[in-house]
Amino acid sequence: MTEHLLSYIIFIPLLASLVVALLPKRLADSYRLIAIVALGLSLVLSVVGVSLFDSDVTGLTNSEASLQMIEKVEWFSINLGSLGRFSVDYFLGVDGLNVSMLLLAAIVLFIGAISSWNIKNKRKGYFSLYLLLSSSVLGCFVALDFFLFYLFFEFMLLPMYFLIGIWGGPRKEYAAIKFFLYTLVGSILILIVMIGLYNSVYDPIKTGAEAGIFESISSATSDQISEVQTQVKLGNVSSENIVKSFNMISMANEDNYLPDSFLSKSSAAQVFGQSARWMAFLALLIGFAIKLPAFPFHTWLPDAHVEAPTPISVVLAGILLKIGGYGMIRTAFSFFPDSAYHYSWLIGFFGMFSIIYGALNALAQKDIKKLIAYSSVSHMGFVLLGLAALTVEGVSGAIYQMFSHGLISATLFLVAGVLYDRTQNRLIENYGGLAHQLPKYTVVVSIAFFASLGLPGFSGFIGELMVFLGAFKSASFIGAIPMWMPVVATLGLVLSAGYYLWTLQRMFFGKYWVKDAARHDNLKDLTLREYLMFVPLIAMIIWFGIFPGTLLDLISNSVEGFTQLMVQAVK
Amino acid sequence: MISLLQSNNASDLKDQLGNLSEDVWMLAPEISVVIALLLLLGFDLLFKKNKEIGLASIAFCGLASTFVILTFQWTNFSTDLMIMGNLLRYDQLSVFLKLIFSLGGALGLIIAARNGEKNNLFQTGESLVILFGLFLGVFLMTMATNLLMIYLSIEVVSICSYMLTGILKGKRKAEAALKYLLFGAVSSAVMLYGISWLYGFTGTLDVTSQAFISGLSEVSVLPLTIALIMTIGGIIFKLGAVPFHIWSPDVYQAAPTAIVSIFSTLPKLAALTLLFRVINVLPAGLFDWQLILGVVAIASMIFGNFSALWQKDAKRMLAYSSIAHAGFLLVGLVAYTEAGNTSMLFYGAMYLVMNVGAFLLIAILERRTGSAAFDDMRGLGMKMPFLGILVVIVMIALTGLPPTVGFNAKLYVFSAIWEAYQVQNNSILLWVFILGLLNTVVALFYYLKLPYYLFFKTGEKTVLEKSSIPDHIWGTIMVLPLLIWFFQSEWLMNVLNSINFVF
Repeated sequence: MTEHLLSYIIFIPLLASLVVALLPKRLADSYRLIAIVALGLSLVLSVVGVSLFDSDVTGLTNSEASLQMIEKVEWFSINLGSLGRFSVDYFLGVDGLNVSMLLLAAIVLFIGAISSWNIKNKRKGYFSLYLLLSSSVLGCFVALDFFLFYLFFEFMLLPMYFLIGIWGGPRKEYAAIKFFLYTLVGSILILIVMIGLYNSVYDPIKTGAEAGIFESISSATSDQISEVQTQVKLGNVSSENIVKSFNMISMANEDNYLPDSFLSKSSAAQVFGQSARWMAFLALLIGFAIKLPAFPFHTWLPDAHVEAPTPISVVLAGILLKIGGYGMIRTAFSFFPDSAYHYSWLIGFFGMFSIIYGALNALAQKDIKKLIAYSSVSHMGFVLLGLAALTVEGVSGAIYQMFSHGLISATLFLVAGVLYDRTQNRLIENYGGLAHQLPKYTVVVSIAFFASLGLPGFSGFIGELMVFLGAFKSASFIGAIPMWMPVVATLGLVLSAGYYLWTLQRMFFGKYWVKDAARHDNLKDLTLREYLMFVPLIAMIIWFGIFPGTLLDLISNSVEGFTQLMVQAVK
Repeated sequence: MISLLQSNNASDLKDQLGNLSEDVWMLAPEISVVIALLLLLGFDLLFKKNKEIGLASIAFCGLASTFVILTFQWTNFSTDLMIMGNLLRYDQLSVFLKLIFSLGGALGLIIAARNGEKNNLFQTGESLVILFGLFLGVFLMTMATNLLMIYLSIEVVSICSYMLTGILKGKRKAEAALKYLLFGAVSSAVMLYGISWLYGFTGTLDVTSQAFISGLSEVSVLPLTIALIMTIGGIIFKLGAVPFHIWSPDVYQAAPTAIVSIFSTLPKLAALTLLFRVINVLPAGLFDWQLILGVVAIASMIFGNFSALWQKDAKRMLAYSSIAHAGFLLVGLVAYTEAGNTSMLFYGAMYLVMNVGAFLLIAILERRTGSAAFDDMRGLGMKMPFLGILVVIVMIALTGLPPTVGFNAKLYVFSAIWEAYQVQNNSILLWVFILGLLNTVVALFYYLKLPYYLFFKTGEKTVLEKSSIPDHIWGTIMVLPLLIWFFQSEWLMNVLNSINFVF
């Protein structure tokens, strides 16, 4: 059971998606149950996975020894004649960098399934697409073969396109195509680097077996592997025996790069007058920054969020954005640590800028969903800032921030969805004094807002605090980003307090007033189903705000290994 | 015949005729096509009414027997041969291409059968006879290594294409056919002129001969470049790449969908083969063909994709997309490595499957709406979800996104060009690599148009006909491989790897 745990987590939703697609229309009421059960199973298995996760495993994140729950089977390999061959593996595994993301994805997808309960039209299409999306999101976080990762990464675009474009709001078509095109630009940049990378990286174990340095793949010892690496470096292995690899863990180890390849660390190759490695790093960075999204690649996000139906906004903000951050950690930073150091000021600057810019935009919004969307841009800026710091605190903070933002933004979009469900109107100016009519709802909203603005006691505070600790330490520790960047970024905290408190005051306090009186009758307080979504989310937000160790213990060793990679590269 | 005349020794004539009759086995697929053509012609003359079943069975049997012969040739292949007095080359490449051509031809006929009454190819024999003439032409194109043979085979294909475009009545068809003919005639003339220069330089038409290669080495760069550009221009016309692409949108829109599915695949791949053969014999360093073809590839991708954005008709959109795909096909050729050749063939084979699949689905939709205009397809996907999903998969495959084989095809050609760039350090290769991949984004925008109209829009138009089971079956047969091969592209690559490209 446990040895294929990750596969079960990915493929249960996929299977459920097929079941939904094949069930006849008269069983339409069962679709949502199937979705909830399937994603519930995935969630349970993810929790099992997290509880089995051994947080004592240490090591650099570029060796497979630091991974757990590994599943590795050769998927296909293609012969390139005199150029050797390349092989693609079905390779899954978790370490501290992705275990929290897996858990987050399972939680948010499950909540999203509950919030899809009220979807009325074209239910078959909706639920099979939603399950398909879930499967590819979960797969994206645990895939450690670049080909497989890319498959999941790309495959989530299509269901998302249809989910926004068919079930979305008034400008759904525009939002759907904009989302798809923006993200595809990012994917293509990633693909460009992927092609360059797999042609530069070889798999030492398979190459050794091919070249006859050792008997079989399973018998390879670490000495033999370094023997292969030395032989390849000396040019003693003929190119026909080289097995190129998409393995993302191998790609992070400079010993696995072919000596004459463009992207190896010693390569002097230039692309457009710049070092090829720098350009590759930038391409990956921009590719994932679009997904994150960071200024100036964020413009798809407000449109997509506003037009998407509530559950899809939840999934979009809750996890899809995190793939951007996770992708940077796993690929751009891990593969090219020297370039990451070189460009850290740029990353830090855009992180800082996104924080301020997103917050200022949020302050100006009239639509509550747009306000939340821009607050996401602002909060994702912390992820960039933390990563750019290249310190343990900064990177842990970035991951913690992603996890906590996943929970908080899911809550926020659900909150906006509750209001929209009842009145079909999201403009802040149309409401006043809602606290009188909807006291319970007001409590939930206040908690979500306070959590999001980083009040101590909620998970958002821990993430932001650690990012700042890391960012301030960076200048003296590794010199990645200057001190003034976190100083300026603190302004973002003030601004976010500003827009949340102001919104709270405008919509919930004062005299009760709704612009369209006809809507008044619909304004009923939270239902049981809504409690079912809010209570666990808020409980987790508070839990991870008070006991950050629960999550930090899981990730700390891997973050340590990851930052060591950076430090080694800088020396 | 040229090479026969060139041999001065008259007493060899008998030997040569003997050799020719030995070569007949190599030409068995062509002979099978010709026999089918003659049978179709005879049947058409003898019977006056209800010819459909007879014509269809002759056509399918003809292609089936050709396919069987080719399979036999493939499995029993021993060595590359120059046949028919060095006019043609019998090698694995040509046998492989003819295999996929006969499959593509059969699928084209199936599209004709599924497209309904209006444009039925099987009602009269003429169009089928001409279509088989086209098959003969593309078969010869895959083997031609003599400039005269290259010209003749291209002309056979072209003339059949002109007639097929205009054979059914209608003003638009006449216009398209005339346009096609005029462009075709000019490009043929230019090509012939180029060939005459090459003949003047070298004194031989056989591109594989030593005299040709050494002759070219003695010519100065400018006249050589002019002559080669003119010659290659004629081939690029059939490939439908920029700047010889102007005919394709009109022709694609006017001609019956089944015919277009064949136009957009078989002659393109055959032309690519010709280009490959010509390029391969050019001595290195004489003429920077990589630059020229690289520019052609980039221009085709950009022009094809951007023009496709504005189209309002599915067939016209696919015409522009096929211009863009001509560019992608050239990418593998420009890489000029072993991996480049293999990936080019892989792309070509997959392009054939994807494109024929796309046209099949459009033919099915067309039967229900009466036209291929996007406006008439509003909301069809909601009425026929199964066909709608198939359309989405084909369009995603044409864009080149996973999980379809279109992604593997793109990955392989662009890997090949990156690999070539690493070795050759020629900056045009980098440009092709980056601009080619970025073009995918543009391509996505218009490929999603069809799903967009099928699913996002709601239509008032009543559907002429309910979806039928055979449509679903044929659709699935065409689309399922696109998904399966994504997970198992190994076997085709291994087949292609066994092909020996060396001359």
